[in-house]
Amino acid sequence: TIGLQVSSGLQDLSLRDRGGRRRDFHDLGVNTRQAMVHVQESKTGFSGKMIKLTTNHFRLTSRPQWALYQYHVGYSPEMEARRLRSALLFQHEETIGKTHAFDGCILFLPKKLESKVTELFSRTRNGEDVKITVTLTNELPPTSPTCLQFYNIIFRRLLKMLNLQQIGRNYYNPSDPVSIPNHRLMVWLGFTSSILQYEENIMLCADVSHKVLRGETVLDTMHSLYSQVGEERFRDTCAKELIGLIVLTKYNNRTYRIDDIDWDNNPKGTFRKSDGSEMSFVEYYKKQYNIEISDWMQPVLISQMKRRRGNIQGSVALIPELCSLTGLTEKMRSDFNMMKDLAIHTRLPPEQRQRELGRLLTYIQKDDNVQKELRNWGLSFDYKSVSFTGRVVQGEKIFQSGTMFDYNPQFADWTKETRGVPLIRAVPMDSWLLIYTRRNHDVANTLLQSLFKVTPSMGIHMNKPNMIEVDDRTESYLRVLQQRITPDTNIVVCILSSSRKDKYDAIKKYLCTDCPIPSQCVLARTLSKPQTIMTVATKIALQMNCKMGGELWSVEIPLKQVMIVGIDCYHDTVAGKQSIAGFVASLNQAMTRWFSRCVVQSRGQELVDGIKACLQTALRNWSKWNKCLPSRIFVYRDGVGDGQLNTLVNYEVPQFLDCLKSIGTDYSPRLTVIVVKKRVGARFFAEIGGGLRNPPPGTVVDTVVTRPEWYDFFVVSQTVKNGCVAPTHYNVIYDTSQLKPDHVQRLTYKLCHMYYNWSGIIRVPAPCQYAHKLAFLVGQSIHREPNLMLSDRLYYL
Amino acid sequence: MDKNFQEEFTQIIKFQPPLYKQRHQFVKDLVEKYKPKKVADLGCADCSLLWMLKFCSCIEVLAGLDICANVMKEKMHTLSPLPVDYLQPSERSLTVTLHHGSVAHKDPCMLGFDLVTCIELIEHLEESELKKFPEVVFGFMAPSIVVISTPNSEFNPLLPGVLLYRHPDHKFEWSQAEFQSWALETARCYNYSVEFTGVGHPPTGMEKVGFCTQIGVFVRKYPQTGESLQSEKPTEAVYKTVFKAVYPSLKDEKYLQNAVISEVMFTAQIIKHRLMSKHKEYSDDPERKSKFQLSMNCFSDYLGKLVVEKNMEPFVSGNEVYVPLTTIFSFPKVNRLCGTFEKLCKLIAGKVTLSSDGSAVMFNTEHENEEN
Repeated sequence: TIGLQVSSGLQDLSLRDRGGRRRDFHDLGVNTRQAMVHVQESKTGFSGKMIKLTTNHFRLTSRPQWALYQYHVGYSPEMEARRLRSALLFQHEETIGKTHAFDGCILFLPKKLESKVTELFSRTRNGEDVKITVTLTNELPPTSPTCLQFYNIIFRRLLKMLNLQQIGRNYYNPSDPVSIPNHRLMVWLGFTSSILQYEENIMLCADVSHKVLRGETVLDTMHSLYSQVGEERFRDTCAKELIGLIVLTKYNNRTYRIDDIDWDNNPKGTFRKSDGSEMSFVEYYKKQYNIEISDWMQPVLISQMKRRRGNIQGSVALIPELCSLTGLTEKMRSDFNMMKDLAIHTRLPPEQRQRELGRLLTYIQKDDNVQKELRNWGLSFDYKSVSFTGRVVQGEKIFQSGTMFDYNPQFADWTKETRGVPLIRAVPMDSWLLIYTRRNHDVANTLLQSLFKVTPSMGIHMNKPNMIEVDDRTESYLRVLQQRITPDTNIVVCILSSSRKDKYDAIKKYLCTDCPIPSQCVLARTLSKPQTIMTVATKIALQMNCKMGGELWSVEIPLKQVMIVGIDCYHDTVAGKQSIAGFVASLNQAMTRWFSRCVVQSRGQELVDGIKACLQTALRNWSKWNKCLPSRIFVYRDGVGDGQLNTLVNYEVPQFLDCLKSIGTDYSPRLTVIVVKKRVGARFFAEIGGGLRNPPPGTVVDTVVTRPEWYDFFVVSQTVKNGCVAPTHYNVIYDTSQLKPDHVQRLTYKLCHMYYNWSGIIRVPAPCQYAHKLAFLVGQSIHREPNLMLSDRLYYL
Repeated sequence: MDKNFQEEFTQIIKFQPPLYKQRHQFVKDLVEKYKPKKVADLGCADCSLLWMLKFCSCIEVLAGLDICANVMKEKMHTLSPLPVDYLQPSERSLTVTLHHGSVAHKDPCMLGFDLVTCIELIEHLEESELKKFPEVVFGFMAPSIVVISTPNSEFNPLLPGVLLYRHPDHKFEWSQAEFQSWALETARCYNYSVEFTGVGHPPTGMEKVGFCTQIGVFVRKYPQTGESLQSEKPTEAVYKTVFKAVYPSLKDEKYLQNAVISEVMFTAQIIKHRLMSKHKEYSDDPERKSKFQLSMNCFSDYLGKLVVEKNMEPFVSGNEVYVPLTTIFSFPKVNRLCGTFEKLCKLIAGKVTLSSDGSAVMFNTEHENEEN
């Protein structure tokens, strides 16, 4: 059979994955569908209305009878240096041909040599005669995984030929940048591309990508941080702001991730070169690149190399002055104005997005060199994107206390419809605390008055709170919490005067671990606008109710005795490289109550052991609530990186099964494991009235652009105001449910209606979003598993 | 002509640093000394010398010429601008061009250079090409300086495994005397002076053998050729351009304008930020206050050293903040970029929101604190 891995040499030949190992990002060769008999024939659903869709996939075509010929090249006597091996081989270009890809050992050719074994003779400049044996080892059909990797390499060659610049994994056009001077940002337009075997064709999936670059060096950023926070907090702030960011260096086209800052080192410090000699950074950059480092007092950035050739682990030291920042920091992401300014350039509506893509294809089509390269390999593209038919499944009915609502499918939102309707379960607020600073006294009163106005119609009984005024210091808040919380306290509401994270973190940490009480933090600013206060108060009332164990609405779930699980991960880049898995499982038939736990683990540990324990407690709790064990379990697994599918299939799923076995010998529920992926390259556009629009919520795609070796489908569940809607990809990797694909699709879509922090449809099933929220809260603020007393409530909303 | 590699193959044992690196260093030192603006490398092969030279800040035009297009193409992308070159355009302009062609042919694109390097080139030339070479390089191109390096055949017995020539493609290898007589004759003929040197010292006791690589540095004895003289040499373009990269530079109005707008906005934001935080200091937020008591003594002189005159003070009026352009202009970075205040005004006109009289950058703070 055909080897999956292109040899490490060929990867070099192409474009090495910058700064680290090359992974199989497309999870090629993980064939999960073959084990699921019920979807062998068909994995498509049937319900809903048909809709005409266009996508960003383009068919790749090869000549009839096309094959890629793989040769092994041997040297006698053995030649070590790769360059010499290439030089010797290509003395015979008239035999081999001008089109080739060679890594020093494996040779790929678009044509077959006359004989299976070809012997060639070359002479080195030392007069040594070398026999080169070129042996055919494989005739690769266009669909073989090696071939697919090969296509991707060739396509990247083409992008390079078009003078696009590689940054990270994608290619960008530097000649026409958009600059956003207000924030010192620059946006480059570029493309992501991947060539894969889809349902019936090999296709190029290309998408527009934007690279946010910053017109300042890391040293500039350090200067401005210094002027913002002062000396005392300077180093901490630098660590928080900079670690985890990707930088571009001034002298080569590499990207590095900042893993640490070495404050004890500076450009005068020395490092050991590969030949063993010591050299200072100042000297090195002067000698190698003629660069004068101007600030000799700056610290040095450390970047860990994950894996280099020959498995050498090591770190690279970088000089801040010579590094430019890319991407956005957490802080920038939370800057509403900045994101608004960026969105104008990066959120392209469907028509414009397709237009930009069309430009790339025009470049490819018009460039002679590119066309020649393609022709030499016998490949070509369809320059028109693939069109096909998808389905829009019907909208759900929203149930709330005996009333049923339809929502406008165009907005996928039922805020208006359910306003003033009693909740399914309203938890009374008999005893609660409202904490605020003196400056926010009026704001606190406004909030209280508004809450009194909005809660009665929801059915929430609310008493006057215990109003407590504090100094605006973290300790004051904590002291009040320690002194004033009683066993009867339902919830604590804190009005914060700034979005300072440490105060929020301290409050959350205390109330999630030491003193498990639901809490609600509100920024004073949010309450300061009279025209929005009622809306804000309504949202806060609903959120608080959920945090205390209340239930808002439900949709019809036809399956009985089913437990739904959602898992998502949070990777902390700053504090000790922790990873956190949030685990959420339904507790009741209506999917209105959720049990939650989370796993906190440090770098290098596997999450899966903790997840097994979570599943065990979840089953115990489910049986406590339902007086029996669930007969069906659905796991929606989010937070799976590209290339990790194999691990999931071979390691995590068996652990789930083990766990179920451990419950009892006579217990064998039906299990379905679905991998949820939000970051996918595929985009769908509805052809409406001659133009391209975002497809409506409920659009399901399970043909053409899905993968033949998987039981997978796409759902567009949410709506977006600007730009293009991103479909969510669902990959059913294990399924003993015997349910029809249509039912799994419908269930998935229903669950996207059940996230209580948003009265509308969201991108992922509610348990995934709950798991995300939980993992984020723990990862950002709490850093350890919250108190299990809270585990049956949505305290992390 | 994979010469760097070929020598590395056997001689890396003998020379530290490797001989090809020593040759490149030699050229680089020459560039540092004479600061040429336009440099051409004939027989540029895998462009490694050109790559090194692109970091030399005095060079504004770099050209490479080789008879083999494939070997140039292999690594030519290393001569493209890097992302950072676009992010922080440099002061100097730089154009890198690669031509496919022969040193035996004249092409006007090779005129007007200050330095022409021919590193390990001439020994690859056929006799007929070698004959035309002096006329093309010294007569036609006529740069101020020409550097020619070539193997010294007297050294060959010291190299392991060298039977006839160091490389199968070499058409000849000269002794010191042979090279020097050719060079002196050429220099005489075209009115150049020549000095001989080399890299790769012979072992002690064998100094007579000379350098492993012999180098001749030719300096033109007559002044810069005038335009008139060059126009007397009309020739057709015979080289094929295989690569051209124009580096972003602040000399280009487009990049300068971007840089200025960016710097102006950034500076204005800093000033605004400081102004606003001063306003806030009167509030009851004790943690805020300490945060803005900046000590600017070490590390940062970013905002310091700034004398703010009375009429340059930024001010708040209603929902608007005004930062006078004169204040912004007094910041060293802005000042350096624009040179004159008039230039500043010209560059930002229409691109930055200004007060009605055009004297200050205006911000509207009304929607500042909106949240999602």
